[in-house]
Amino acid sequence: MKRSSRIFDLVVGAGLVAISGISILYFLINERFEWIPDIALELARDPEILKRPAAKKCSECHKDIFEAWKKSRHSISWTSETFIEVSENRSKEKCLPCHIPQSVQGEKPSPRMELRDEGIYCVSCHFIDNKMHGPYDLLAPPHPTFRNPDYVRSDFCGSCHQKTLKEWKATQVEDTCQDCHMPRKKGRLTQKAGLNLLHKKRWLGDHRFLHGKITEKDVILETSWEEKFFNISLTNQTIPHFVPTADNGDPRLYLYIKFFNEAGEEVDSAKEIIAPQQETALPYNKKINYRYRLFDPVEKATVELKYQPAWSKEKTQILAKTVSR
Amino acid sequence: MKFFRNLFITIAFVLFAVFPVQAKDMIVKEPPKSLSKYYPPESKQPKWIQQMHKMSAHFGGVFVNLKEKDFENVDKHADKLVEEYKKTSEMVPEWEEYFDIKAAETFAAAAKTHDIGKAGKASGGLGKTCGKCHAENEVSVWAKFHWPSFHKINVTDPISEKEIEFDDYMGSISSSFKGVTVNFGEGQYDRAAKALKIFKSRFMELKSTCSKCHATQDVKRFYVGPDADTAFAGLRQELNSEKPNPGKFWKNIGLLGKTGCKHCHLVHRTNSLIQEMWEQPEKE
Repeated sequence: MKRSSRIFDLVVGAGLVAISGISILYFLINERFEWIPDIALELARDPEILKRPAAKKCSECHKDIFEAWKKSRHSISWTSETFIEVSENRSKEKCLPCHIPQSVQGEKPSPRMELRDEGIYCVSCHFIDNKMHGPYDLLAPPHPTFRNPDYVRSDFCGSCHQKTLKEWKATQVEDTCQDCHMPRKKGRLTQKAGLNLLHKKRWLGDHRFLHGKITEKDVILETSWEEKFFNISLTNQTIPHFVPTADNGDPRLYLYIKFFNEAGEEVDSAKEIIAPQQETALPYNKKINYRYRLFDPVEKATVELKYQPAWSKEKTQILAKTVSR
Repeated sequence: MKFFRNLFITIAFVLFAVFPVQAKDMIVKEPPKSLSKYYPPESKQPKWIQQMHKMSAHFGGVFVNLKEKDFENVDKHADKLVEEYKKTSEMVPEWEEYFDIKAAETFAAAAKTHDIGKAGKASGGLGKTCGKCHAENEVSVWAKFHWPSFHKINVTDPISEKEIEFDDYMGSISSSFKGVTVNFGEGQYDRAAKALKIFKSRFMELKSTCSKCHATQDVKRFYVGPDADTAFAGLRQELNSEKPNPGKFWKNIGLLGKTGCKHCHLVHRTNSLIQEMWEQPEKE
C-alpha cells in the first residue's frame, strides 16, 4: 500500500512537473520569448534558412502555408505558360521585377537571378535585412522573426500591384487587399510535430492569394429603351478597385448585346470590351453608360456579361438578361 | 584623239553621276545569326552591347586619365581595352575582319607613353575599325535587336475573337476604316455608323496591343489617346445626326489619322519594314 502510494505520488508529481514545464515553455514561446537567452536560441537556429532558400525548405515547418502558396498564381509567376508567351520567353525586362522579385518592401522590387522558378515565393516577401519578417513578433527557433505592420497594409501588395493600389486608395474603402485576397482564419503557423502545439493559434492570411469571383451582385446591370436607342449601364458596386484590374496583364469583361425584331430574328449585335489596358474597366461605385443606336425595328435585346482572366482564353458568365421594350 | 577625249568625258560624266549616289548608299543587311546569342531571348543579358560599352569605357578611360595625369589608370585601361577588343573580335566570326588587333596594341603602346598627342594619333587607326563596323552594321543591329518584332505579336480581333498576326490585324483595321469612309462618301450614313462601331472596336484593341511592350500609360496614350477618343466621339455624333456634316466628319478622320495611325507608324513602321524584308524567304 505504501509502495503503490509512493509510485502514484511520483507519477502525479512527474505529471505536474511536465505540465508546469510545458506551460512555462508555452508562455515563454508565445508571450515572453525575449526572456529566453540568445545562447539557447542560437542552438535552435537553422542557418540554411537565412540563405534565401527555396520554398520547399520553409515547408518543413510551414506546410499549410506552403500548400496554399503552391495553389496560388504567385508560385507560377515565372513558369506560367501565359507569362512565358506574353513576355516573349521572359525577355521583356518590364515584367521581371514583379514576376521574380528579390525583395518586396513597398516599392517596385528589383528582379533576382537565383531560384527564378520559385516565382514570387516566401523569401521575396518575408526575408528583409537577413531576418524573417511577418505580421507577428515570434519566437521561431529556426530563424528570428520580426513583426512588420506593413504585411497587413495594402501598400505592401502595391509594391507590384501599383495601379490597383491607386484605384483602391481612390475609393477610400477601409478593407485592405489582404482582407479580400488573403482572408484570415485562426490556425497554426507551423505544422512541425511538437512545435505546432507549443505555438498558439493565430490569424493566418490565405496564401492562395484568392482572385475573387465577380458575380451579378458585384456588377449591377440596368437597361432602358428609347425610340432609336438602347441604353445599358454597368456599376461596379462592391469591389473597391476597377473591375477588371491589372497593372500589365489583360483581363477582360465582355459585354455582348444582341437585338431581335418582333419575329425573334436577330437584326444586330454589339460588343463592349471592358479592360484595364483599354482604359474601359469599371471604376468603383460609378455608373458607366453604353448607348446603342437601333438601325432596325427592335423589340428585344439579350445582354450577357462574361469575364476572361489575363491568364486564360476561357470566359465565365457573370450575368445574362433578356429585356423587352 | 577626239575619240579618246570623248571617251574620257563620257567616263568622267558616268563616274561623277554614280559616285555621289554610291556615297549615300547603305545596305541594311540582316546581322549574322551568331550575333543573336548575345541578345535576349537567347541570352539573359544583352552581352554584345555590354561588350561595346566595356570597350568604350576603357577607350575613354585612357583619355580621361591622360588628361588627369593618372598614368597608372591609363595603363590599366589600355591593357583592358586590348583584352576586351580581342574578346570582342572572337564573338562574331562573320565580323572577324573588322578587327585589327595590331591597331589596338599600337594604341595601347602609345597610351602607355603617357603622351596624349601620341595616344590621340594612334587612336585613329583603332577608331577606324570601330567606325567601319558601326557604319555598316549599327542600323541593322538596332533594327534587329533593339526594336520589338511586330511579326511576333498576335492580336485577338475583338470582332471575330480570333487571334491573328499583327500584319493581318492592320489589314483588318484598314478594311474597317474603309467601311466608314467609303460609305460616308456614298451618303450611306447608317452603314457608315455600323462600320464605325467595328472600326472603333479594332482601333481601341491597339491599346491592349501596345501594353504587350509598353508599361507606361503615357506611352499608350501617345498612340491611342484622348485625341482618338475625341475623334471617335465626333464621328459618332455626326453619323447619328439627321444631316451629317462632311466637314466635321473628315476633320475627325484627319484627327484620328494624325494622332493615332501616324504616331505609331512614324515611330515603328521603318524598323518593322526592315524586319519584314529580312523575314521574307530568299528568292532563288
